[in-house]
Amino acid sequence: MEDALVKCDVLVVGGGLGGCLAAIKASEYDVKVILVEKANAKRSGSAGTGNDHFWCYIPEIHGKAGLTIEDVVKDMSFKGPYGKLTEGFIDQELCESIVRETYDRVLDLERFGVKFRFKKIYPWNYFVEPGEYEEAKFRIVPAFQSVPDVLNYEGRDIKRKLTKEAKKRSVNIMNRVMVTSLLTNEGSVVGATGVNTRTGQFIVFEAKAIVLHTGGCNRLYPTRTGYLFNRQDCPNLTGDGEIMALKAGAELFVTPARKRGHGAFQYLKNFARASGAATSCYPAGRYINSEGEVVVEHPASREPLRVRREKVETDIREGRLPFYLDLTQATEEQIKYVEWSYSNESLCWAFLEIMRDMGLDFRKDIFELDLEKPGTISGGGVGIFIDTNCATSVKGLFAGGDIVQPIGAETTGPQAVVLGWRAGDRAAEYALKAPEPVVDERQVRDERRRVLAPLEVKDGVAWQELNVALNGLMADYMGYVGGLSLGFNDVRSEHGLESLLNRLRELRSQPLNAKDPHEVMRCLEVLNLIDVGELLIKAALDPRIYEKGKWFMAKLAVKEMKFFQRPIVYKYPIE
Amino acid sequence: MPPKIDLKLCKGCNVCVDICPLDVFKEGAKAPVVAYPDECWHCGACVMDCPEEAIRLVLPVPMRPVAIRIK
Repeated sequence: MEDALVKCDVLVVGGGLGGCLAAIKASEYDVKVILVEKANAKRSGSAGTGNDHFWCYIPEIHGKAGLTIEDVVKDMSFKGPYGKLTEGFIDQELCESIVRETYDRVLDLERFGVKFRFKKIYPWNYFVEPGEYEEAKFRIVPAFQSVPDVLNYEGRDIKRKLTKEAKKRSVNIMNRVMVTSLLTNEGSVVGATGVNTRTGQFIVFEAKAIVLHTGGCNRLYPTRTGYLFNRQDCPNLTGDGEIMALKAGAELFVTPARKRGHGAFQYLKNFARASGAATSCYPAGRYINSEGEVVVEHPASREPLRVRREKVETDIREGRLPFYLDLTQATEEQIKYVEWSYSNESLCWAFLEIMRDMGLDFRKDIFELDLEKPGTISGGGVGIFIDTNCATSVKGLFAGGDIVQPIGAETTGPQAVVLGWRAGDRAAEYALKAPEPVVDERQVRDERRRVLAPLEVKDGVAWQELNVALNGLMADYMGYVGGLSLGFNDVRSEHGLESLLNRLRELRSQPLNAKDPHEVMRCLEVLNLIDVGELLIKAALDPRIYEKGKWFMAKLAVKEMKFFQRPIVYKYPIE
Repeated sequence: MPPKIDLKLCKGCNVCVDICPLDVFKEGAKAPVVAYPDECWHCGACVMDCPEEAIRLVLPVPMRPVAIRIK
């Protein structure tokens, strides 16, 4: 099949929430915009089948109640009720800039048809008296933070609505294309390469500016059930954006011991895609231990997570396991509200279906929980370093969403939406002044050979073999640190990490075989995962230790915290 | 294995093939085929968007949630 050449001003890579908004915003300028998506933008990314919660600082509500933007930023960092969970993990300047724009973006999402306001307000909603209103109002609930700032909303079809808006604005959406590399010329980004995962066509993009919005990295560690794709976050997210940025010379931020999550358990046993989802089971879902004692009155309660974690760890030590999600004490009105939230939330919609099929009922059944989020380093681990204008260290390359440096606890949805919008804006501004891109043919040739190689290999290795091997190695030698306390369940040694590096090199040298273009995509994903693994190990072994500061990194080999003041920069190849 | 298409209801519109985030379906002679069942994320997008309500998620045994009836 002949290669395709596609030209545009702004190329957005990744069509999730943030990528769609980047493309929509960029289209307000006089530029040609292309949005490239590995799946189909209508249902892709972490919010593909919906989202029911979005934290937001509303000046006319929170301001009136005496709450400030700084209060919200504190919530996201070490001063808030999260306690030590996220201490210093975040870029506070970037975090604050996100908080400031959350409400403006909610107003934009409303313009695009997403329903955020309702005529009925319930007793458990904050800031607005319960009752029926002529004019619709926000349903505000708490979610861990000291400031109740989460809007419950009807986001089930948010991706369909954003896709429609993008098309209306003449954004060219190219589905089923995996972008494999960035093309550079004298330190500036000038394009990208991609492969159609249905036809196998190799595509060369010429672009003046590129926005990377490809999400986190979700297939590096094993799952509990052995099913490779049984994960809470989208299994398509394999560090693609991070690794292509790294290869293009971008600075990356690496946290080898990134901790994320809600201090244990909002994860339903076995079915990883489903979640007890703290904000979604508000106001009635509580967590109980095996004795029937309430461990957490409400998962979104404003209790410090440090306190919660202590309770959880005491129960673990003293054998009061497992834990359960319990809504059996809830009123009918509360159950209906929870079911409404679940029906709008990606993490919960399929679970409602399964419950119906299995004859399960919140009114009668309790549901076993997993202690921590299995197999995910999403949102952390490796991040592309950006400034407050979403600019990376490579000229013309912008990024947002989950692939950037840690911004704060629970920033995900608003982080994608706010940074996506901003990245699209700055990329379009940049493209208007940028010179015509000149692509280096040698880069294209080399990448074409790399991308299509698995189709030429006959008796090679299947991508699943490498993925499973990688998962096992990472778990054995680079112990996953989940929601629990540091040192609680991590196993690492310098010798183990060094031997792990050698094992990853062996994996990388295996001849990967793909039977069709779909498998080419999976092969390339596994190669990216191996690169991410190598980056994390290198960072864990890194001797460069700085004093405590804005940036934080834990070195677990010596079972103590060490702090880095600025990101550690890695260049490709990682040596 | 998931997802399961009810061939009596399916009209072969291929919406599921079009939208599946994990690309597990392929177009078949009459109805779509689940070509990569191991790559299903169980997100339910196909169930959600199927105009004939012909698709159901069937969880593999190890993935089924654990529930206890107490009332």
